Amino acid sequence: MTAFILKRLGLALITLWILSLIVFFVGQILPGDPARAILGPLAAPSAVKVLDHQLGVDKPVIQQYWDWITNFPGTSHQYQAPIGPILTGALGRSLKLAVFAFIIVVPLGIVGGVFSALKHGKWQDRTITVVGQSALTVPEFVSGIVLILIFAVWLKWLPVSATAPPGSGFFTSLKYLILPVIPLVLILFGYIARMARVGTVEALGSDYARTATLKGLPRGVMIRRHVLRNSLLPTITVVATQTGYLIGGLVVVEFLFRYQGIGLLTYNAANQKDFPMLEACVLTIGVIYMLVTLIADISFSLLNPRIRLKAAE
Amino acid sequence: MRGGNDELDRLRGERTELENHYIDELVSGRMGRRDFLRRGSMIGMSTGLLGAILAACGGSSSTTTATGSGSGATPSSGKKGGTLRVAGVTPTGAVNPLTLFDAGGLLMLNQTGEFLIFDSNLKLALQPMLALSWKPNADGSVWTFTLRPNVTFHNGKQMTADDVVYTFKQLSDPKVASNALSAFTGVLTPDGVKKVNATSVEFHLESPNGNFPYLVSSDNYNAIIVPNGTDFGKWQKTFVGTGAFKLGSYTQGSGATFVPNPSYWGTKPLLSGTQFKFYDAQQPMILALQGGDVDVIAQFTPAGATQLLSGSTYKIITLKSANHRELSMRNDQAPFNDAKVRQAVAYSMDRTGMVAALLSGKGSVANDSPFGPRFTSTDTTVPQRSQNINMAKQLLQQAGHSSINATLFTEQYQEIPQLAQAIQQNAKQAGININLKVETQTNYYGKATFGNSDWLDGQMSLVDYGDRGVPNVYLVSPLTSKGTWNAAHFKNSEYDSLVKQYVAALDLQAQKQTAGKIQRLLLQETPIVIPYWIDGLTASTPNVGGLNPTSIAQLYLNTASMG
Repeated sequence: MTAFILKRLGLALITLWILSLIVFFVGQILPGDPARAILGPLAAPSAVKVLDHQLGVDKPVIQQYWDWITNFPGTSHQYQAPIGPILTGALGRSLKLAVFAFIIVVPLGIVGGVFSALKHGKWQDRTITVVGQSALTVPEFVSGIVLILIFAVWLKWLPVSATAPPGSGFFTSLKYLILPVIPLVLILFGYIARMARVGTVEALGSDYARTATLKGLPRGVMIRRHVLRNSLLPTITVVATQTGYLIGGLVVVEFLFRYQGIGLLTYNAANQKDFPMLEACVLTIGVIYMLVTLIADISFSLLNPRIRLKAAE
Repeated sequence: MRGGNDELDRLRGERTELENHYIDELVSGRMGRRDFLRRGSMIGMSTGLLGAILAACGGSSSTTTATGSGSGATPSSGKKGGTLRVAGVTPTGAVNPLTLFDAGGLLMLNQTGEFLIFDSNLKLALQPMLALSWKPNADGSVWTFTLRPNVTFHNGKQMTADDVVYTFKQLSDPKVASNALSAFTGVLTPDGVKKVNATSVEFHLESPNGNFPYLVSSDNYNAIIVPNGTDFGKWQKTFVGTGAFKLGSYTQGSGATFVPNPSYWGTKPLLSGTQFKFYDAQQPMILALQGGDVDVIAQFTPAGATQLLSGSTYKIITLKSANHRELSMRNDQAPFNDAKVRQAVAYSMDRTGMVAALLSGKGSVANDSPFGPRFTSTDTTVPQRSQNINMAKQLLQQAGHSSINATLFTEQYQEIPQLAQAIQQNAKQAGININLKVETQTNYYGKATFGNSDWLDGQMSLVDYGDRGVPNVYLVSPLTSKGTWNAAHFKNSEYDSLVKQYVAALDLQAQKQTAGKIQRLLLQETPIVIPYWIDGLTASTPNVGGLNPTSIAQLYLNTASMG
């Protein structure tokens, strides 16, 4: 197991380094100019030149990359402030939103999917499948606005913004996150329920499930011990792959609900050609993505020893 | 009446030649009261004096003295206390007085910072802020400003001429990354900023400029006065200024709070504090106002704001503004090298329909020149161009075309993509087939230099221009032969010399005469099309009063209250 984890960590580090190279060099060919982004399109060319020099973006690209590596995470061009505190603040907020969404959607999706599989072909199955698939196709922007209009503007039950006032307690912060979490739950429920359903249906029809039933195991024990253990493997993969989306891809939700998460920070950094910030954001999201994938792989191997043995070979 | 004449004679005796000229214009009826207030304030006549002259001329003065109110807004009679919550656009970068250019950033700047002069959109006049008075020399090449005494910065230091000199030397220095260089290049260099004494500063200009006070006013949003030696890059840690509010807290990308400045020189704020919340788009701001999350939207555009504009649930402040869109055509390339083709494009446009559909009526039609209702120097006798498809077709035929094809480059910004479609549909009726290329702002502006920018190189190009108090920038940069933003590639020596005359003129009649010539020349040549002017809009809940916004997204709150 240790060898397996070490091997995965080594690969993750190499991937991160390649990722940093790609982001940095692809960023160089983006149109626009960092100083022009800060000063605006109508700034005098002399001012742009002076600021480009101050930012060091007129140096050779290799040197810029070296400067960035040696000063990581460095200073944001856009905000003219150290990146560390800005990034950790945004990451903390994104994680809070993502964890809240996961806590709701993962059990809900699995229960929904398994229940749907157990009622395979019946109206309950069809209802859960249709509702889940329909919700998946509604963009966050649409569901978000509808939710705001109903619960914040019309009923005034929940706040419009996702950002709680400074110094708010845990439950107040949670109340502010309810509205933004719903569009995410709507989107993810369909994915997770579908995977759980398919896995469960497949496992229920397998030989070992039939054997377990025939040897007289109660249905509940058979499902818990034999079906779920196998049927949840693909679901874990789906949950892991959605982490990237939940941490860095919530630009629309963050936009709509005024929530300074890492998604919005990355988007703005790319728009403003703020390379140090963009690099730091992408690498942070990359690290999280890899960690979650690693955790998923470990969970996978715990559930299925064949994978562990194969990977460690 | 004789008493009025005696009083006027007395007032005249102490006035300069130029001031007396304006009084003559007022007495003869050639200049209206509003024009007199605006022009008089520009050459440094105090609002009290302007009011006294108007009263002596036989009318009651409608002006209020600005001496004690800071931003010059009429103090609100609302109740004291309360924290006003304001929705503003997220600043795109650091709040650095030297470099910022965006609406979110300049809204932050004006919360604690003040200018020498305040360009009041509500009163349509320049009002003293940190300068008590200002005067030009005979040809307008040297302007002398007398500073307000007993003004202290938020750090306790007294404001003097040294602070003003430092601020403007930095803003006008080509060796510094100053955004104000776009206004000061060719007008002011650091050597031209001179301290006369502790309360007086002279600006020696590169050439005469009749509208110079606007360049040191709130119109030039970078020009807040900061303490001598300020490190602009670190300014956002303190927000040090002289304004009615001082910094409570500033959180990057999220918001800011401000508290009253107890030692403010002007009207003390009624509010116990202000809280700004940042939004990245207009729609969430509107939802926040509707949901009771904020009390005010500092500035919004009519496009996509019908919820606010229809009905009477919210208070809307509408300001006449010179904010506009400009369609340029490559005057140096076929088929737009023929003025008739360019005129055909202009005649195809349904401007009234555009104002109604794209701006919900919150704007007015424009006449293909930078002169509009915002500027007193505009010659209103120049006929307005309106849609005439037959005329457009005839002009095209006279130019030897039955139809033409062209490509229009533009940016994803506010209602501009919809305007581009409207232009495309209107032009099609006249036989002009336009292919649209709508790009992100980064792609569209490119490096913003010729040869590296779709904005400046495109065959047709549709761009936005923000509000200015005087049309100088619109006249020079996009239209003179050496203009740095001359996307039309328009080169006309007569135009260049008329603009030079206009910029130098101190006298309103001279400016109006030249403006009329420029307007007629631009109608004839039509290097650009300006379809409409867009009003500046601020929204609030009905209990909020005393707001003092400007049409470039500033918002002064020392007179604001929550009823």
